Amino acid sequence: MSIDTQLPDETVHVASAISDEVVIELASVNKWYGEFHVLKDINLAVNKGERIVICGPSGSGKSTMIRCINRLEEHQAGDIIVNGTEMGTNIKNIDAIRRDVGMVFQQFNLFPHLSVLENCTLAPIWVKNMPKAEAEKIAMEYLERVKIPEQAGKYPGQLSGGQQQRVAIARSLCMSPTIMLFDEPTSALDPEMISEVLDVMVGLAETGMTMLVVTHEMGFAKRVADRVIFMDQGEIVEQNTPDEFFTNPKSDRTKLFLSQILAH
Amino acid sequence: MTDATQSDTAFRPKPSLPPPANTVGVVGWMRKNLFGGPVDTVLTLLGVYLLYVILDFVVDYGIVNAIWTADSYRECLDINKGEGACWAGIGVWFNSMMYGRYPDEEQWRINFGGIVLLLWLIPFWLPKVSGKIQVGISAVLTFPFLAASLFIGGDIGIFLHAMTAIALTLFVSVWLNVATCYLMGKSLPAVLISVTGFADKDDRLHKYVLLGAFGVGFVLALLYHLSWDLVEVPTTIWGGLFLTLVISGIGISSALPSGILLALGRRSKMPVIRVFCTAFIELFRSVPLITILFMAVTMMPLFLPVEFNPPKLAMVIVAVCIFAAAYMAETVRGGLQAVNKGQYEAAQAMGLNFWKMMALIVMPQALKLMIPNIVGSFMGLMKDTTLVSIIGLYDILLMGKAAGQNPTWLGFHTEPLLFTATIFFVLCFAMSKYSQHLERTIGGGYGRR
Amino acid sequence: MAVVDKAGPRKGGRSFTEIVNDERYRSVFYQVIVAVAVIWAANYLITNTAENLQARGMSAGFEFLTSTAGFSIAWSIIDYEPGDTYFDVYLVGIANTLIISFFAIIATTLLGFVVGVMRLSKNFIICNLASGYVEVMRNVPLLLHILFWFTLSAALPRPKNSLGLGDMFFLNNRGLYVPAPIPGEGFGVVVIMVLIGIAAAFGVTVWATRRQMATGQRFPAFWVGVGLVVGLPLLAFAALGAPLTFDYPSLKGFNFTGGADVPRAFCALLFALVLYHTVYMAEAVRAGILSVSHGQTEASYSLGLKPSWTLRLVVIPQAMRAVVPPMISNWMNVVKNSSLAVAIGYPDLVAVFMQTSLNQSGHAIEIVGMVMLFYMTVSLTISAALNYYNKLVQIKER
Ligand SMILES: Nc1ncnc2c1ncn2[C@@H]1O[C@H](COP(=O)(O)OP(=O)(O)OP(=O)(O)O)[C@@H](O)[C@H]1O
Ligand SMILES: [Mg+2]
Repeated sequence: MSIDTQLPDETVHVASAISDEVVIELASVNKWYGEFHVLKDINLAVNKGERIVICGPSGSGKSTMIRCINRLEEHQAGDIIVNGTEMGTNIKNIDAIRRDVGMVFQQFNLFPHLSVLENCTLAPIWVKNMPKAEAEKIAMEYLERVKIPEQAGKYPGQLSGGQQQRVAIARSLCMSPTIMLFDEPTSALDPEMISEVLDVMVGLAETGMTMLVVTHEMGFAKRVADRVIFMDQGEIVEQNTPDEFFTNPKSDRTKLFLSQILAH
Repeated sequence: MTDATQSDTAFRPKPSLPPPANTVGVVGWMRKNLFGGPVDTVLTLLGVYLLYVILDFVVDYGIVNAIWTADSYRECLDINKGEGACWAGIGVWFNSMMYGRYPDEEQWRINFGGIVLLLWLIPFWLPKVSGKIQVGISAVLTFPFLAASLFIGGDIGIFLHAMTAIALTLFVSVWLNVATCYLMGKSLPAVLISVTGFADKDDRLHKYVLLGAFGVGFVLALLYHLSWDLVEVPTTIWGGLFLTLVISGIGISSALPSGILLALGRRSKMPVIRVFCTAFIELFRSVPLITILFMAVTMMPLFLPVEFNPPKLAMVIVAVCIFAAAYMAETVRGGLQAVNKGQYEAAQAMGLNFWKMMALIVMPQALKLMIPNIVGSFMGLMKDTTLVSIIGLYDILLMGKAAGQNPTWLGFHTEPLLFTATIFFVLCFAMSKYSQHLERTIGGGYGRR
Repeated sequence: MAVVDKAGPRKGGRSFTEIVNDERYRSVFYQVIVAVAVIWAANYLITNTAENLQARGMSAGFEFLTSTAGFSIAWSIIDYEPGDTYFDVYLVGIANTLIISFFAIIATTLLGFVVGVMRLSKNFIICNLASGYVEVMRNVPLLLHILFWFTLSAALPRPKNSLGLGDMFFLNNRGLYVPAPIPGEGFGVVVIMVLIGIAAAFGVTVWATRRQMATGQRFPAFWVGVGLVVGLPLLAFAALGAPLTFDYPSLKGFNFTGGADVPRAFCALLFALVLYHTVYMAEAVRAGILSVSHGQTEASYSLGLKPSWTLRLVVIPQAMRAVVPPMISNWMNVVKNSSLAVAIGYPDLVAVFMQTSLNQSGHAIEIVGMVMLFYMTVSLTISAALNYYNKLVQIKER
């Protein structure tokens, strides 16, 4: 954990920088796994710079929803528009969207055969045709931002979970995405490592990045989120500002959920 | 946010809708698995065409144009011009391909031996029977003697008599054990002890009761067995699938103990032993089986004292055993490595010495993990045993070849090969499916048991 | 033994049981027993062998290698005449074994990749065709495959009505006949051009990678390389006026003359070896690809790498680690199993040396030793290569 001069105040909300421009739009999105209806008529618009935290019980379709946004999953009905590009079967569109959208996974998914630095420079070199030196320079900048520049030469297997997740964040940032998706980035981590990753994410929020974060870290939601979305059984049950969401939830389902996760 | 007309507090999930019709059901399945895109469609069509060609040929050759009754190969050819199989020949040669030149009236001995082995192994699959490991060990260690005295016959010598009597006693006790387990819910030893009234006596006395009971059984079996009078069938006329199974059966059952010793030797801290074991394993794993077979039949007569003249079958079996042991050693080594290191440490911490640690803690776990691989090795060995035909033992392959050289069946080559292939396919396929099943149940149930 | 002094805290009188129970003495004791047993067994075998040889009036030794073999060999890749020595026979056998293994290994590897990928296909038909192939092949002994194809090939037409491809390739019940290339004047230049082309392609690849790393610009190095390797020799070939003629096989009387021939046994053996070992290669490929978790692919996609690049940069490098070890041991098995040639009379090492030469000369020990030495050398070389590879990829892990 960083011992900065200004320890981030746990209670102050990170200043939001929302613009009017809608960067992600999900309109009546439906998805089935075989006969199983996972996403039921999802409607969601995300503005540029907005930070959204998504929570809900296990199996409610949170992962599925954000994975549809960069087409790791295919939806069967409805429209998904990202940065003005319509997600369809067009490969060019999919490529374009994926270049603009970074994603961080629960299981890190670093490439074990590449060093930390190579993990970070792989996509810039091969997707953006960046010279190696420049890619490495950028990678080192991001590695510094996630506070592990000294690990650049190591291999993922040699790092702790928290360090791996920070590398994964740096790796995504190296493609300079405009949107970042996080799928439970801290749930595979030990408690001490969670805060080091959350710190990095708070730092990222301060830069005005558009973020969709699936997480059960309610402290993070209170500090960073502009909007909290609660999902259950494949639908969005409630959307609210964090204040309202935690103090005055509209739905009984939300109350039940909050009482369960806050009980521990 | 859900429907505005709903009350704010009660959450009623939206009803699940059926998926779009073209993504599920037969149509959805076909779209996904057969016609996912243009390339996929072309591949599917090609595949279907290929399948059609193969099936068409198989049906034409094997059924439509096949001849089921004929007295010579010529007759078959005259009828179908070679465009179909001549299964009639298989009928004629079936007996030879199964038993070689073993006399017809003595073949019941082979069948009887096979049935005894099967019966011996059945308790393995009976859920309520206790002492499965003992059942397995008794079968592996003593059945070969019973089989030898049964298959060879003639004057078998006192040693074989005694071993056969032990085998018979054990076989009977295995089934008595099954009976007591099912009827009384107790194992045979427990029943014996309580019947003789030693149940409340000292534990050491129990051993004597059991030994006594075994002794009585042994004497009875020996007397019974001495009354057997079987004609001698020399190994030189053994053949067919029977021979294949004999060789591979002896190979695998000898490979297990010797493979375990070799594997332990290879992992040993004692350099002399380690070097010998490693050299043995590596030497025989790096050369083809056929060279070991050639070595056995050409060099063994040189190695043994001048007056010895071992039968070819014996030399071949030695070669197969050496080969199987070297391979089994590596299988066992893999199994030993798979056992958690903590198990070794825990055993040592309990004060067990090396052999007790191996026998009580490590080997049982390792063997359990290895069962699928052992089944795999047996399959491999059974396939490899066909090589004995190259050095002139009349196994099923050479017997089939002999059929095609018989004057009335001259040229009858393909069908015996196809028939043999089918037999191997059925045996090996069943075994590999069984070993996969074991792999799954052992893998899944390992933690619980 | 100097260690003994340092061993126990107590010096001097050690009781017998103490010595017996001392771990080190035990270990020495066991080892001595094993060593004595082995030496005794060796001695026993050697004495017996000496007696046996004497009884048969034979002598041991390698002098026979220089004597004339006197038999002919049906087909050989290197020159051989019946007047050559046993040592020549040994070399011919090795060459024949290596040549068939070489072709079998190449075909097995390529076909194995195809079948392995087919088994992973989402296409129901393709996937099941591949599985069916795998099951049928691996549950039937290799020797049966070999005999089967050999028997089938006997049913090919006689030379007179050979199956022909153009007027160049002929297949009949004696074997396969192909045109034999006869290099003309200046053909050496073409060969040199091939080498230059390969070197240039290699250079271009290195250069293109360097440039991309430095400037980010892509260069179609692969296609340029192909152009160089194919184009340069073709140009030279045309410029020199096509300095290569072929000797075509042609039917003279009952058989073919001219061209190069590959015996039927070779074709059948190659076919069977390839069909059988492809299965093991395919299983290795399948397991290798499955060993790369789906998360890796997803992570790569989410970084914007296209499927083809994901395959090249992420999946294949990782899968190769799992594929290479079983692949290499499969190659080893191909070499070993090519010895089944003896069953159908293809003159490989075992057939010409362990069978014919041994029967004729009777030098069993020497010949068995030499044959085993060959296979062991191959095996040790291959496992050394494998160890080297494992070390190479291991550094990258932890
Ligand atoms: N590939 C798949 N095939 C079939 N069903 C799936 C698949 N992936 C997910 N599901 C099902 O879809 C539902 C939603 O899954 P999803 O992973 O989106 O849940 P989640 O909200 O992320 O849960 P968690 O908090 O446990 O990660 C679950 O019921 C799950 O069982
Ligand atoms: Mg999830």
